[in-house]
Amino acid sequence: MKDSSEQQHVKKKRSIAAPASRKYKTRYVWLNVLPDDLWLKVRQGDTIRDALKKADVELEDECGGLGKCGKCKVKILSAVGPPSKQEMELLDEEELKQGVRLACRTKVTKDLVIQIGETDATTDYYQILKTGHRPLLHPNPLISKRLITLPPELQHEGLSDLDRIKLVMVPEYQSMKASLHCLRHLPDMLRKTEFSGAAVLHDSELLAWQFWDEVNCHYGLVFDIGTSTLVGKLISLIDGVEVAVVSCLNSQIKYGTNVISRLQYLRQHAHTLDYLHNLLVRDLNRITGRLLKAADLEPDDIFVAVAAGNTTMQHFLLNLDPSAIAEAPFTPVFTDGLVVKAAEVGLTLHPEAVLYVMPTRSGYIGGDLISVILASGAFEQEDEIVLGLDLGTNGEVFLGNRRRLMTCSAAAGPAFEGATISRGMIARAGAIESVRVENGTLQYQVIGNISPKGICGSGLVELVAVLLQAGIVTPEGLIHPSDTASGELNARLIDRSGVYDFLVASAEESYDHRPICLTQKDVRELQLAKGAIAAGIRTLMDEMGIGPQDVQRVYLAGALGNYVSPRSAARIGLLPGLNPESITSLGNAASTGASMVLLSKYYWQMANDLADFLEHIELSSRVDFNEYFVEHLDFSASQPDWIPQEQLTLTEHGASVE
Amino acid sequence: MRDFHLLAQAVMNGDIKAAVAQTQAALDAGADVQELIDRGLIAAMDEVGEKFSKGLLFVPQMLRAAKTMQECMKLLQPLIKEGEVTSKGKVLIGTVKGDLHDIGKNLVSMMLEGAGFAITDLGVDVHPDKFVQKTQEIEPDIVAMSALLSTTMPAMPATIEALTRAGLRDRVKVMIGGAPVTMKYAQEINADSYAPDAGSAVTEAKKLLGID
Repeated sequence: MKDSSEQQHVKKKRSIAAPASRKYKTRYVWLNVLPDDLWLKVRQGDTIRDALKKADVELEDECGGLGKCGKCKVKILSAVGPPSKQEMELLDEEELKQGVRLACRTKVTKDLVIQIGETDATTDYYQILKTGHRPLLHPNPLISKRLITLPPELQHEGLSDLDRIKLVMVPEYQSMKASLHCLRHLPDMLRKTEFSGAAVLHDSELLAWQFWDEVNCHYGLVFDIGTSTLVGKLISLIDGVEVAVVSCLNSQIKYGTNVISRLQYLRQHAHTLDYLHNLLVRDLNRITGRLLKAADLEPDDIFVAVAAGNTTMQHFLLNLDPSAIAEAPFTPVFTDGLVVKAAEVGLTLHPEAVLYVMPTRSGYIGGDLISVILASGAFEQEDEIVLGLDLGTNGEVFLGNRRRLMTCSAAAGPAFEGATISRGMIARAGAIESVRVENGTLQYQVIGNISPKGICGSGLVELVAVLLQAGIVTPEGLIHPSDTASGELNARLIDRSGVYDFLVASAEESYDHRPICLTQKDVRELQLAKGAIAAGIRTLMDEMGIGPQDVQRVYLAGALGNYVSPRSAARIGLLPGLNPESITSLGNAASTGASMVLLSKYYWQMANDLADFLEHIELSSRVDFNEYFVEHLDFSASQPDWIPQEQLTLTEHGASVE
Repeated sequence: MRDFHLLAQAVMNGDIKAAVAQTQAALDAGADVQELIDRGLIAAMDEVGEKFSKGLLFVPQMLRAAKTMQECMKLLQPLIKEGEVTSKGKVLIGTVKGDLHDIGKNLVSMMLEGAGFAITDLGVDVHPDKFVQKTQEIEPDIVAMSALLSTTMPAMPATIEALTRAGLRDRVKVMIGGAPVTMKYAQEINADSYAPDAGSAVTEAKKLLGID
């Protein structure tokens, strides 16, 4: 069977015009995908999106195939029928004319040739935060290596190999155990090393006996498992140095760009848990491979990894069903920090390697946030009140210190990651990441220094901050011509029967020759997102019984947190009443926290204590949160009256310059 | 015909003081209560809804306008005799099972109320059976459902199904809305109407009941 279908495949490749579908009783047609020249056998009537998903072809779609987001564009090179109503709404005239359609709306009824992605390949890189910072305290790595020489007299007594090692290592290893795998190799290795070697230890378990000089080859991995991006770090367990960092997009992104749409996919498609789990593990193994290659190591050299992700992603990692997190009461399968054999999960490390999975608090307060709190140091002191924001699709907020620590998850929506914004995109090559006004002229900076393709979260925040300053966006969020703004800025306004768009990059400037505009609706989306975060902060402050002036330190974590200027964040009212001077970026704090755990059992214990200690405030049912939310939808509510006015004023050079 | 332009303007601006003063002045001048409500207050709220749909107004302004209208109504309430001012129709509204979001739903309630509908709000996380039970009890003209998550959207067809099983589906119109909901989805699950935002909810509700 397989052969014949492959023959068909080759045959079909010669001429796509031949009506192949008639030969098949099952009615299959061919979909030829350029530029990779992929040939897909597709059941007649399936959508292009279905076909591409089945074949693991990357495709952007934020709405999960509902025909709402308009992002799964493909260019149809064959003759193409009239567009659907949704396509007419979501695609512009030029695109429709060129044969651009939405993959989720277009059914393959006959053989088709389509083109996906950009025609000219620019190096596409993703701006994923890789660095974090935190000096190493309490060093006590999860895995230790000890040099041991078994005295000759012990070698002649009638003791087992394992007991001999124990005798040398007493007292704390009196009850040391060893796995079957370790024991199988032990006699051989003991003799090869002439009874002088390095014992690899995890708690009171002997994982391996290595050569003496392997004591210096002592590394561990951390994984920051984000919904859209994955970061892996190779870390020396001797001095805590980051040896290598690798990041990539999470392959699961094809099945929903946020937690909710991914859970939705899981719930609608039976038996996909294994598949999603394997996809993630494959990504992590690829990252591991590249990390090891960078340091010239082998999988067998790694005995430990620490993983931090949101609750849903941690479930996927362990192949546990996260479906119930999707709706109230948002029930996860587990919240405790777990220690499992890495091999059981499918990670290609030493067969005895252990995987630490961070504790979580609830379905929406995940191991990533626990790691961020760990990295912030908030839980290690009780003198200062610390506020932290982890701004991703869900805005997580925490507040407090060792006396009391509380957190909430504000459904900010995906605006900060570019979704729901008309020309929004994640922070990758082509995204406008910062905006300023210089001599009355708008200037922007694009990731990768290419023509702009869209605007990412930090660019959006800075753009609106600048326009608020210029008066083009009113405190109520209305885009309109301003008397106080320069002619250059006012000239960028496009009147659409009384509703204005603000032109950021013209068709000539942009990558796809379509203008990049900030629409009135985009401003509304940003208002919703920042209103939710600000309301979350206010609600936590009320619970704690404090005001903004009592907060000594503010930390921003996550991609937006690192790239947005604190003043722009303050200007749009993301941080109600907080002093921009107290704001610091924590970088990729999730991986910093995971590294701290890797390097110290003390922090693993602390992570678990923290997860238990943390008070989770559920916002969605609270009246006061909803009131604050409405109050903070306007930009005007953002003017903190106790901060000297000059600290708030953005310079002519705009919001992005520090 | 009286001119309620200034009153309408005050309501749109959310200027409670001015709106109340205008209402009082109109009453003192002998204006008809029904006319004052229809051509002053409701007309203003219609325009607010329209501006909201376009993005020219946002949630806080809309809420202030609704609050302003309520304040004016307080003045009129004692003057309305039983059965004299009729509601445009009864709406039963709620956020579906598994979903705790209520801001969008509340806005819809407020706008419908502002447009002269009588609202019964079941709150959030409303089980299909609860919709059925309340429908039997109050016999609304419209059952309106909101879902903010794509994962809770299936509770909408489940609720419609429950209404059908209880033999109530033919007696009510079903209107749905919420961020992930589309017109196409509404058609797929046999809802009668889809409203993309609070402003259009009013238009859709009127269309359903054949008003205007």
